[in-house]
Amino acid sequence: MPKLFRTRLMAQMAILATLVGSLQSVQAQPVTYRIDPVHSFIIFRVKHLNTGFAYGRFNTFSGTIVVDEKNPANSSIELEIDANSVDTGNGQRDDHLRSPDFFNARQFPKITFKSTRVRKINDTTVEVQGNLTMRGVTRPITARVTFTGKGRNQRGQEIIGFETTFTIRRSQFNVNYGLNGGLADEVRVTFAVEGIRQ
Amino acid sequence: MSVVLSSALTAGLAALAAGILWLLGWRLRRAHLWFAPLGVSVGFALLYWRIQGRPDFPPIDATQWAFWHALFALPLGWLAGIGAAYRWVWVWGALLGMLWLFAPPFYNLMQSGYWSNTAGVAYILSFALGTWLLMTLSAPLGDERGVGTPFLIATLGGVGAGLLFYGAKSASLAQLTGTLGAVAGVGVVLSLLRGFTLGRGAVALILFLYMSLWTTALGFANLTVGQLGLLYLLAFTPALQLLPALKRQSPLVRFALPLAILVIVGGAAVGLAYNAYMAQGGDYSY
Repeated sequence: MPKLFRTRLMAQMAILATLVGSLQSVQAQPVTYRIDPVHSFIIFRVKHLNTGFAYGRFNTFSGTIVVDEKNPANSSIELEIDANSVDTGNGQRDDHLRSPDFFNARQFPKITFKSTRVRKINDTTVEVQGNLTMRGVTRPITARVTFTGKGRNQRGQEIIGFETTFTIRRSQFNVNYGLNGGLADEVRVTFAVEGIRQ
Repeated sequence: MSVVLSSALTAGLAALAAGILWLLGWRLRRAHLWFAPLGVSVGFALLYWRIQGRPDFPPIDATQWAFWHALFALPLGWLAGIGAAYRWVWVWGALLGMLWLFAPPFYNLMQSGYWSNTAGVAYILSFALGTWLLMTLSAPLGDERGVGTPFLIATLGGVGAGLLFYGAKSASLAQLTGTLGAVAGVGVVLSLLRGFTLGRGAVALILFLYMSLWTTALGFANLTVGQLGLLYLLAFTPALQLLPALKRQSPLVRFALPLAILVIVGGAAVGLAYNAYMAQGGDYSY
């Protein structure tokens, strides 16, 4: 092998090794994902007149998820929901939900969640603790979040999926309308999210 | 317990509390000035507590100010009672008091960005001046004997409840207005006692609380400026009895004319709001 060629090959291998090394170190860093509102869903359900379940969703929200696979405690999530985007499939009920009887959306247009602690349960589940703020009241909540997959979207961007379901008591957030038999206090919330790597 | 039974119990309790205080004040004569608005204050605070639960202080949620208004506006009720004797105390005290009461709840809408600062200040000033004028012109109704005044004020609560329910789409604000009307309605029963009067402070404070609830419905629910304007004008109808032209008429005419305006105009407004509500589907029953 000519000496010049051997020298070039060694130099190229050295560059490749440096690249691989730096890529591995990037992978070990926490990765930030922007919540994709098109492929994410916030759904809630509440019992009506102690009989059937009424379902609703929020159509507008945004946020970020930070994932640290090596050290899950460094992971976090922040979410901001537009209270005015509540949608139960009935315009009059949605108006009522935006009114002071429920969300008082003119004074409190945002519902927010900010995690304070993430703890690994197993390879696909973490426990997320954080503060949920609704109608001006902040309360700590805990939810088990399940990893649902990782892949690439049509644009080639890396995407990641999670889902969680938890229950809150709306009276803890001063949402007291209809508690005497009309609507249950417990509201089950499902958050299915897809994040796009930033 | 059904919602209807619960509402009836709430209105009954509040009316009983107000009625006892009004009766006590009337019997003690000199205490009437103090007890008349106190009855309204205690009655409304009771019904608010039962309908909405315990409010925070200071309120995080601006709509909870309605409860605190019932207590903090009590001195305005007392001032309204002595208004004739101390005109300037009433003019400046009530005006400043009104601004102090209306500013905290609506400042929140400026903070949240729903109202611009200019619009917010204009609304707060309008609410304060408008309510002051309403209380000033209507307070003398408290000296009137007979069932006319309490009946008209109670009817006003019914019209307000209808517009808040179908127009503002807030069941709780509608319930508060309606039950406040029911509290005023106990005055109808007490008016059967010879010589009973509600008292200037009671009339002024009930109208103030109506305005507190209606402006809240404009700011935080879906009541339109037109609907609020109409409710405001209708709130003056009981005071039509005080017009010199009507004072010369028989008690029946003095009562029937404002009632007819309230029922026809108010009923038409509620009817329009109901039709608009039904046109949207009307299948949601709160």
